[in-house]
Amino acid sequence: MKILRILTICILTGALGHGQVIDLKHLDRLAAKATETADVTLDGSLLKLGAKFLSADDPDQARVRKLVAGLKGIYVRTFTFENEGEYSEADVTSIRKQLQSPGWSRIVGVRSKKDSENAEVYIKTGGPDGGLAIICANPKELTVVSIVGKIDLDELSELGGNLGVPKIDLEKPKTSNVEKPKPSSKKEDD
Amino acid sequence: MSYLEDDLKMALQRTEPSADFVNRVLARVNQPPPREPSWWERLTVLLRPPRLQWVAASVILSIMIPVAGVQYRKQQRMRVEGERAKEQLMFAVRVAGNRLHRVQQKVLEMGRMETRL
Repeated sequence: MKILRILTICILTGALGHGQVIDLKHLDRLAAKATETADVTLDGSLLKLGAKFLSADDPDQARVRKLVAGLKGIYVRTFTFENEGEYSEADVTSIRKQLQSPGWSRIVGVRSKKDSENAEVYIKTGGPDGGLAIICANPKELTVVSIVGKIDLDELSELGGNLGVPKIDLEKPKTSNVEKPKPSSKKEDD
Repeated sequence: MSYLEDDLKMALQRTEPSADFVNRVLARVNQPPPREPSWWERLTVLLRPPRLQWVAASVILSIMIPVAGVQYRKQQRMRVEGERAKEQLMFAVRVAGNRLHRVQQKVLEMGRMETRL
């Protein structure tokens, strides 16, 4: 009886631990249809190992090292398709559903009719670990990024501008449900 | 006659054995054969100086060389895995930063459009 109780506690603790990670397994089947696929799964130990090999002399790598110091996992799935409609809305909905669980809040949601691109940014606040999820979906491309752990959005954004993408000056949304942050006066071309 | 011949004569002249020579030879012949040393006795020979130093050195080397080999291969494997993890990490951060940048750019565009209106 005691053993059963301990086992139940262990299973529950494990389930809670895994609850932090967004389940992206259902997206694996899209790899067969996609012309280009990127699948990165870096969990605790692998992330630490990778961070250890980042050079302190390279400024970009040093910044990435600092950024990922408090992270517990990074998961990226990117699919590029030849034709439209290769993935279904249900594929994205199942991720959105997971992001409706307590602690998660959508900070940015963009729907562009011009280039049919939908993009959403979610952050997880409260609890011991933070988190970040980005969903970018256009008819021919689907990208899902899931980061477990506390991450500095400004730093990541700066790195986004630094690692091959030009930097733009942006204000971070101050409240959890801000859809459109104030436009910045600074403007830089891509 | 030279001195050499004298010396040879002296050296080769017949001498009688001592009185107890026969007894001593017989006693030696009648002695039991020496006992075969057991395996551990042979081992203890190795542990007597100066052999002990050579034995210790070869034992240490025979342990150290395979351990060092295993450790080296482990380090090599770790380095390859680490480099791969680093590449993946850089790629993941690049993708995350890039997508975040795209989202923010769209938000900016929408903000600008709203301001114009």
